[in-house]
Amino acid sequence: MKIHEQKSFQEARDQLKESQAALNALVSIYEEKEPSKSEGKLAGVPVVLKDNINTKGHLTTASSKILENYVPVYDATIVKKLKEAGASIVAKASMDELGMGGTNRNALTGPVHNPYDLDRISGGSSGGCAVVVASGIVPLSIGTDTGDSIRKPAAYTGVVGVKPTYGRISRYGIIPYASSLDTVGYFTTNVADAALALEVLAGRDDHDMTSSYEEVLEYSQLLNADLEGKRIGIFKTVNEEVKDPIIKAGFEQLEEKLRAKGAILVEKRMPEQYMNLIAPVYRTIANAEATANHSNLDGIRFGRRENGESVDAVMTNSRTAGFSSYVRARFVIGSYSLFEENQDKLFRKAQKIRRLLVRAYADLFKDIDGLLAIAAPTLAPKIKESSDLRFQEASFAEDHMQLGNFSGYPSMTLPLGFEDGLPFAVNLTCRPFEEETMFDLADGIEECTGLAGQVKEVRA
Amino acid sequence: MDIERGIILEKFSNEYFKKLANDLRFDLNDEEIEALKRDFIEVEKQERLFESIDTDGIEPMVYPFEAPTVFLREDQVEEVLSQKDALENAADVRMGHVHVPKVVK
Repeated sequence: MKIHEQKSFQEARDQLKESQAALNALVSIYEEKEPSKSEGKLAGVPVVLKDNINTKGHLTTASSKILENYVPVYDATIVKKLKEAGASIVAKASMDELGMGGTNRNALTGPVHNPYDLDRISGGSSGGCAVVVASGIVPLSIGTDTGDSIRKPAAYTGVVGVKPTYGRISRYGIIPYASSLDTVGYFTTNVADAALALEVLAGRDDHDMTSSYEEVLEYSQLLNADLEGKRIGIFKTVNEEVKDPIIKAGFEQLEEKLRAKGAILVEKRMPEQYMNLIAPVYRTIANAEATANHSNLDGIRFGRRENGESVDAVMTNSRTAGFSSYVRARFVIGSYSLFEENQDKLFRKAQKIRRLLVRAYADLFKDIDGLLAIAAPTLAPKIKESSDLRFQEASFAEDHMQLGNFSGYPSMTLPLGFEDGLPFAVNLTCRPFEEETMFDLADGIEECTGLAGQVKEVRA
Repeated sequence: MDIERGIILEKFSNEYFKKLANDLRFDLNDEEIEALKRDFIEVEKQERLFESIDTDGIEPMVYPFEAPTVFLREDQVEEVLSQKDALENAADVRMGHVHVPKVVK
């Protein structure tokens, strides 16, 4: 559904409840509507939040057992902004535990199901948010993207997924994962709604030291789908790595349509040596930052507490029972890379390589308005067959969108087509703080695909 | 057993992983340690991959942008969490304090 199509809080709430048996997208649902402004850009719009966004007086678990009883005493800045704009929060959505994962299988409440095929994953970590929009129940959901956690699930579920520029949207009140990469973003079914949502969510917040002072524009009013003379980079290194012939053909058809609209397409490449570094650099930085960020989850001041004979034993027992094996393994690896004797060859080295990758990536944007690539190289995997890659090697076509997190550049995924009834997608990235350009190009792309507003309803 | 796995076993014992985990205030069972050993084969590979990249003269990239967004404010109390709110989520609260097992024996 689109933002301007009205749906009452009660109707959205009841549909979300009915959807649970099929989709399992939610951690908790609001029984009653909380007070919000009656006028505003999102007046009367039901919105779902990822469960790592603090909501005053309402359970916020980050899909982790250690926070299974955590009820925040304050609202995240974006929750206040949404209410000020007239939106009503209707549910909190499932995610991979603390954001760590790309399948949404690693959630306390179990896997989230893809509305296009319930046997397939939603992708993660913002999987619950993706499917409540993809199934047409709400027009907007708010997630977070540390290493493609919005853009990959958007690709698997056929919706628009936006990760704006790092620092565009306040992170105050959001349970972190990796602070140098974490970005708040969202899902909609069309580009116009995506442009409108950023107007509401973006802006400087003194509570978040990484929040940007850059001006926020009226993106939805400025939308211009005219592609005449626009220079669009085609990320050939990624597209050539993709094996699926139908996805490749879908992208080539889009290229033809873009040319027909007057766009100038420019081939872009990055050395494969650099592409193969994306995943290791990401894992090193993300795991190290995560282990530091989550040292405050100890069961003492908040969260699930296990008994023990000493304070140390309470913490150890609480953290052992509170984190999954997968998350504890990531913490060990992250901590190892921070040891004094390892830091220069692991964590700090990864930060240096990150700079090299970002320099090379920035070079691609010197003579183009935006860069296009196939978002994900495959359709959504089957739940049974998918695995949360611990440290196995994968094709860089799986991980290339993490360049958007390394660089902080705004990046979004748009539905591109279908194969056997399952969606696949295109990813668009622009220079930092040039979201206006990104939405303009996306609007033109959406005209080419004709997929604005598409949803897949799931009947219980 | 392949050579790399052998090297990992030699370098990283079960006790080593237990200590790493306990320093982070959690535990690992034997099965979890076995899985971690497999992960560390990849960590070692990754370290070698990183070594092959020349980063001389390159500064670590700590955040995406270097424009200043953080400034010192006046040292005045601005926002305060009430005692009730601060204790709201603690599992054990007694007489206005978070209660924990005895520290000094």
